[in-house]
Amino acid sequence: MLQSIVSYGLAVGAVYALIGITYNVMYSASRVFSFTAGMLGMLGGVLGALFIQRMGLNPVLGFVMVLACGAVLGVVTEILTVRPVLKSIEQHLYVLSTLAFALMIQQVTAIEWGTEAQPFPTLFPPAEGWLDQKFWLPLLACAVTIGGLEFLYRKTLIGRAFLAIAEDSYAARALGLPETWLRIASFALAGMIGTLAGFTGAQMLLAFFGNQSILNFYGFVPVALGGMGSNRGAVIGGLALGLFQQAANFLVGGIFAAVAVFAVFIVVLLLRPEGIAGASTARRV
Amino acid sequence: MTEITTPIRRSGAGTGWLGRLEGKLSWILLGLAGLALPLLGDSYMGTIATRAYIYWVLGAGLNLVVGYAGQIAIGWVAMLTLGAYTTAALAAGRAGPEWPVYLALLAGGGVGAVFGVVVGLPALRLRTFYFAMTTLGFATIVTQVALAWKDVTGGGVGTPGPVFPWPFDPGWGFYYFCFLLAAIATWMTANIGSSRYGRALVAIRDAEVAAEASGIAKPKLLVMIFLLAGALGGIAGGLFASLQSYITPDAFTFEMSVLFFIGILIGGRGSILGPALGTLILTVLPEIAAPLVQWSTFLYAALLLAIVLVIPGGIADLLDYKNRRPLEQHREIVPRPDLLGRVLGEQSRKMLIALKGIRLHFGGVKAIDGLDLEIHGGEVHGLIGPNGSGKTTTLNVVSGYYRPHEGSLRIDGSHLPFEQPHVRAQWRIARTFQTPRVVGAASVLENVMIGGTVQGHGTFAESMLSLPRHRLDERVLKEAALLALATVGLEQLASVRADRLQHSELRFVEIARALMLRPACLMLDEPAAGLSAEEIRRLGGLIKAISRAGTAVLLVEHHADLIFDICDRVTVLNLGKVLAAGTPEEIRSHREVVSAYLGA
Amino acid sequence: MLSDNNQVSQIGKEKTTMRIRRRQVLSGSAAGAVSLATGLAAPAIAANEPIKIGYLPALTGPSSSTGVGINRGVQLGIEAINKAGGVKGRQLELIVRDTQSDPTKAVNAVSELTQRQKVSMIFGPVNSGEALAATPLIARDKVPMLHPCWVDELIDVKKYPMAFRQAPTNTQIGGGANHYVVDVLKLKKVAVISDTTGYGTASVNTYVPMLKAKGADVVYTNHIDAANPDLKPEMLRMQSAGAQVIMPWSVNAGFLSRILNTRGAMGWDVPVVGQTTLGSGQTKALLEKPEYWNKVYSNNFRKCCYVNGKLEPKTQEYLDQLKAAKIEFADTLLWWVALGSDAANLMADIFKNAGSKPEDIVKYMNQVKDWPGVYGTVTWTPQQHNGFPDSEVVMCEVNSLKDGAFNLAPGYAS
Repeated sequence: MLQSIVSYGLAVGAVYALIGITYNVMYSASRVFSFTAGMLGMLGGVLGALFIQRMGLNPVLGFVMVLACGAVLGVVTEILTVRPVLKSIEQHLYVLSTLAFALMIQQVTAIEWGTEAQPFPTLFPPAEGWLDQKFWLPLLACAVTIGGLEFLYRKTLIGRAFLAIAEDSYAARALGLPETWLRIASFALAGMIGTLAGFTGAQMLLAFFGNQSILNFYGFVPVALGGMGSNRGAVIGGLALGLFQQAANFLVGGIFAAVAVFAVFIVVLLLRPEGIAGASTARRV
Repeated sequence: MTEITTPIRRSGAGTGWLGRLEGKLSWILLGLAGLALPLLGDSYMGTIATRAYIYWVLGAGLNLVVGYAGQIAIGWVAMLTLGAYTTAALAAGRAGPEWPVYLALLAGGGVGAVFGVVVGLPALRLRTFYFAMTTLGFATIVTQVALAWKDVTGGGVGTPGPVFPWPFDPGWGFYYFCFLLAAIATWMTANIGSSRYGRALVAIRDAEVAAEASGIAKPKLLVMIFLLAGALGGIAGGLFASLQSYITPDAFTFEMSVLFFIGILIGGRGSILGPALGTLILTVLPEIAAPLVQWSTFLYAALLLAIVLVIPGGIADLLDYKNRRPLEQHREIVPRPDLLGRVLGEQSRKMLIALKGIRLHFGGVKAIDGLDLEIHGGEVHGLIGPNGSGKTTTLNVVSGYYRPHEGSLRIDGSHLPFEQPHVRAQWRIARTFQTPRVVGAASVLENVMIGGTVQGHGTFAESMLSLPRHRLDERVLKEAALLALATVGLEQLASVRADRLQHSELRFVEIARALMLRPACLMLDEPAAGLSAEEIRRLGGLIKAISRAGTAVLLVEHHADLIFDICDRVTVLNLGKVLAAGTPEEIRSHREVVSAYLGA
Repeated sequence: MLSDNNQVSQIGKEKTTMRIRRRQVLSGSAAGAVSLATGLAAPAIAANEPIKIGYLPALTGPSSSTGVGINRGVQLGIEAINKAGGVKGRQLELIVRDTQSDPTKAVNAVSELTQRQKVSMIFGPVNSGEALAATPLIARDKVPMLHPCWVDELIDVKKYPMAFRQAPTNTQIGGGANHYVVDVLKLKKVAVISDTTGYGTASVNTYVPMLKAKGADVVYTNHIDAANPDLKPEMLRMQSAGAQVIMPWSVNAGFLSRILNTRGAMGWDVPVVGQTTLGSGQTKALLEKPEYWNKVYSNNFRKCCYVNGKLEPKTQEYLDQLKAAKIEFADTLLWWVALGSDAANLMADIFKNAGSKPEDIVKYMNQVKDWPGVYGTVTWTPQQHNGFPDSEVVMCEVNSLKDGAFNLAPGYAS
């Protein structure tokens, strides 16, 4: 039983962590929390099943196409729902625009793809028990993403430009950084990370339109707990959440596990609204 | 030219825009239509209309939460679920003996109220998005519990809904019952909306800092709103269970929650009529467009996106003809300091505010490094210095936004607590802000009335039921606000939406708002920024008159002319320390001040 | 957790869920609608108005696969009847209101159908959640009602005197499974399990006493969380308790497939007898090896099963008709379609014999005896409005799907 908790918990936790990172990347670029993170995760699974299983494409090609779709959706999100409302950011309109867009995509998926969860194709020859690919794929994806982002932010110029925009967008613009292009690039990157999460997690979560709401919430919990903008916090939070959820599932059953997760989420947030690793809000007056 | 005895000019009819049952005509028409509908004899339309009334009962409450308080409570369907199951279970005797139906309905409202507060409390600490997420999580939890708690809720198989006895039995009787409750909900929430509570909510939503400075305490107010909205949601739930005749967990979908939420936003925030129409439209729409029925949620979402991007103000904005009338082009601000006596009342004692040994640093930056400052009643005390010298920070310490690491703050000898901005109003300490913090969506008069929020005596319940004390409060507040506006010279703009005003006019609006507290101490943060020379002159005259009436005035400014013109005392800050203090003449010729700041 | 009610609306979901290509469905019903229209465009026979039938399928939304399948049968049936001249010269007019798997829409639609359209009879809803809400309202409006749902509470001669069911109840379903295990397979030691949903727990709580009453020894029973990825501990416990058969009650394909996968991995060769979803395409897709689908039996209906490789003549004739009408079977089940056609023909017979006045209709329905449907033989009495016979609730072999139908499970005396 411990084995199941650990393997399943870490795997699904890695998916949550990746969605949390998706939130973070979008937030860093725009100070906007977007409801589209869960949507990207859901589409990673649905599009993957569509390309590889329904349309019979080669898995590698299918994977690449899924990431490409993710990038496109990220860019569309930025142009359609984020940029127009950035100037009125205090009125929280961005919450609504991204929510509306995410809902629209979810409904189209429900209508076109169907409302039943569909299985996701096995990509590699299946292995026994906890070595099975559905466990290590998300973990691998998470590790690669974290490593990639660290490299990007620390070693490359564009990564440091991302950080600059996140830190202080006025100053960055004053320095001549092309804020809009960098933001578009960030959202494209977030789109790819989100669909990557969904693609690698789909053997566990299946290709299901309902994953959007699940991932929206459970992918947000690591961000809330780990502090927004903190990718390391998201990873730790995500893995911890996955383990906690699985343990609770075993010990008290599905419904109480959900209540337990929610209770922990609320309590931590009320005690430390900025998260465990987050910074306090800036000057208001 | 102003005359000494000119009476205050009243602005046009209908000063309030917020929450007022705007277009009383529309409401009368809606009401008549509702009453007359049964005459058509079409029970199908009756069912749809009943459903719309039920949704609006919940929507009226949610409108206060989303439209007025600006809280993104997306998962509010949980209140409907809770109310529905509570009423159904109690009426059917699933949780103890059978309850009488009306009592069960009230219990549904009670449960909704309790959980409304439970869900709402995080809103006090959490940012918008976080709060939205918690409401979503909560809605799912409630559905899961409904599924699991089979003894009470019937689990997946569900439970029968309550049946109301004559005269509210199923059919047209029940229709009238729901119509009645919808009307009551409308009336109550409209009363709140157009009361000082409604204005306070909008202030918290759009200008939280200014709301605090006016003494508005966010927690208490939000708790009351969530209580009311939760109760309305719970009652709507009980009615829903009756309409459905049988409830199962799968009836309370996320789509329904989205519908409520979008109905309010389509209608426009800060309005009652708009969201009512929005909810009505969204309820009726799927019935009209049958082939589109499976796309209905998609269409709602698309509509929401369109509204956010194109008409953020919603239907209410579209219906707001008054605010499309063009304003006079070359407006002048002509203050009338002669009215100050009536505005400020008697300043019996002159306040003394004393700061001693204040030290405050942000990380490694020493914002204030040992500051002593005294502000006397009856004087204008100027505070000047280069950027970053700590002027605004000092003001923020006094007005309660920052806590210094060392030092004391005393008012007439007693300690004033740090970091409690809303307490300042009780001490009659008022302020304006570096960037005007006004509620753009409200009228100028309403903005000024916000300043007097804490002077009302009526309780929330009295406002809700429009009892005499509430109406007295409103009259008094309105008079005071008009007087304050006349004092600063803006009474002809009283009914205009604040976001249509020029920058300089907004600065004077802030002063009018501050005057509502009858301040013993008024602190002004760079009020002359962006004003023309003539306006600065008039501003100076007004400030001086305020101080001569007994108020202690602290003026943080960059405009040297204004400072030297009207100040009785000047303190110069540099790098968080006092560089020099004294009369304007002494400062003007002080060598270090000249070299650090003023220039030759 | 946030499953968009997919799990929720599975409660009482009696049918296998198969992927339906929506375009095919739409074109099918569009074709049906078109032919219906052309049928109606035939010259009006005397001054007889059409007989209006209210129809409340769930054609879209989370629980729509059954509704879509049944709809094919209904449209086909009505079309054929109208082509042959209708009922005593009157055409049958189907007034369709898609409930979208949403009880609130079902309630709105009932009001429209009974009050505005003034239908003579209502068929549906097809899903339990909607039926639970619609039935009291239809009863209040005093309109006769025919529906194919399984939830026991939906039929009550006292509360809903005008409601009749043409399908088995959940109790009959469980009884059919129990009968197979105890009387046909002659197994004594039984493990009965479910997921933690309302449907699952209610089923177990009903079926276990029924088993005990038949003299079986229920050696293990539990409600297992469907999200639990590792069922080995549970299966081991069943094995050590000496279970000879596993009876799972759940509509969650993931859960059921995990049971089968674990059974296979353990090499534990016991039959699995239970819920229809065991035989769904979804369950199959989640199996790790195709042979894990062997020795698995789920609920089905005798008249729609292959016995010794053959369908009953009437069923075969019906299947041939469907094939001629180019109805797709790759994504639906024969019994759904047959159920729909039966409903159409049953209602036509009712109108033929009783006219269209509610009291006459109910009086006639109360004494229908052995009505020969393709899906099932229907009998009603004034005290019993559940029309499906116990004997026709059978188990089928799930890995034998052909043309939407399965083989009868082995061991029945034919």
